[in-house]
Amino acid sequence: MRTFLPVEDLARDDRFVRYTMRERMADKRASARIDAKERGKTSNRITPDRRDAADAARGLMHGILVGEIQALEGAGRTCHDFRVTGIAERGPLATQPIADAAPAAEVPFALKLDMARQAWDEARHVEISVKLAEWMGSDIGSVAENTVLFEAACSTDPVLRLAGVNRALEGLAIDVFTTMKEFGELAQDPYLAFCEDWMLADEVTHVKMGSDWLRSLTANDPARRERALEFQRVVDKMFSFGGTRSDSMDSPIGLARRFRELAGFTDDEVADIAEVSLQALNERKQSIRAARRSSADAVPPTSNPPTSNPR
Amino acid sequence: MTVSVEPQSFHYVLFDAAAIGDVAAIVLEQLAMTEHDVHIAVDETTPVSRVRVEVGDPIVVRAESGAFEDARRPRQLSQQNTALNLGRMLLRVRDRTDGSFGEAPQDDQMTLAHVAAWDAYIVGRLERSGQTINRQRFLYNFRNRHGFTDTGDAAFEQLWCADRLTWNELASISATALAARL
Repeated sequence: MRTFLPVEDLARDDRFVRYTMRERMADKRASARIDAKERGKTSNRITPDRRDAADAARGLMHGILVGEIQALEGAGRTCHDFRVTGIAERGPLATQPIADAAPAAEVPFALKLDMARQAWDEARHVEISVKLAEWMGSDIGSVAENTVLFEAACSTDPVLRLAGVNRALEGLAIDVFTTMKEFGELAQDPYLAFCEDWMLADEVTHVKMGSDWLRSLTANDPARRERALEFQRVVDKMFSFGGTRSDSMDSPIGLARRFRELAGFTDDEVADIAEVSLQALNERKQSIRAARRSSADAVPPTSNPPTSNPR
Repeated sequence: MTVSVEPQSFHYVLFDAAAIGDVAAIVLEQLAMTEHDVHIAVDETTPVSRVRVEVGDPIVVRAESGAFEDARRPRQLSQQNTALNLGRMLLRVRDRTDGSFGEAPQDDQMTLAHVAAWDAYIVGRLERSGQTINRQRFLYNFRNRHGFTDTGDAAFEQLWCADRLTWNELASISATALAARL
């Protein structure tokens, strides 16, 4: 079986339509009012009192579903892509080159066991998420899939992969599940809050595994640890999705500080993520303002009266 | 029947004004509303999916681009979502202008529970007019506003299957569901 599967080769049936970051960036519709105050609200959080509450929660649920699929694929790949420390031979893979990752491409067997456990959890989460998505009124593939989560799981250094997947991606999952759990509780949805709580418990464990392995594997290599943490910062900023997740009430998803502590993040690390997320939010606000200015400056080519079509 | 669409050419999204007009014409036929003229104004600068309607001659539907968008293929037109959201607005007008329906509050003064209840009544009729609808989506929205109870689900069923309700009957069904909320 192939190691280091590129994102393009992920297996999907025709229900799924992929939406790349390039396509996402090409979407210039930026006038959504991200400032809650501009909308006469005190918060943009996904809560049942929002007029679009059910649609917003349904969209987020579909995002969780594809995120779980990619997390399953990422954890599964980490089980398979790296050699076990101290075992030089592993059948035909022993002769297979691993691109510029040779010194780092070995992991302890216990790490693989953790990743196998995580893959098992994620498979269960996919099944739960499919049921929840149907319960909320969406079908598999009804929203375009962005594969940025799996892309964070493609590093050839297992330590970077743990930082990107277990700490950044699964950390985001903690924030998202906490938001959805609270939504379910407020709406008195009997299934949503319950399921999210169970999945949240697993995510805390996954982040903890990542935190523990990152510290253990880099105990004697501070430069590698710094590279991993820098990679995590990049991924964390990317996963803030332009301010979708932050401490600010302008973000639909909050930062779940308590659960992050339980998952092994230090206070300084949580503060770092808060800062990076806020930075992403502020950058988005600036880009929206710039887009508004440029669309106000440009005379719309549609100033002619619209034509009528008698039928 | 005259349908006009504004703008005629799109820059932020890959919509086709003529295609929107064609969908509107089909929906007007399905709803037996061909005596009305309709003007559709699309705000393509926002991905939000809000849609509003102004009763008059013509009927004016103001949609943000997300309301007509294909969620599987961002920025592209979804005929299904266009038909659904135009249908929701047009049936709302038909109800309001039908003398037997009674006085519904203005859209901006309506409670979220009433919006969900009226949507259930409207979208059930759209489904029977031939549109492809995800019923569960509207049931989930109704449950969010009225509670996750058997009484609430029965109220939804009553609204979904109804063809001729008055505003007072609709509001009363909504109130019954709300009263059963835990």
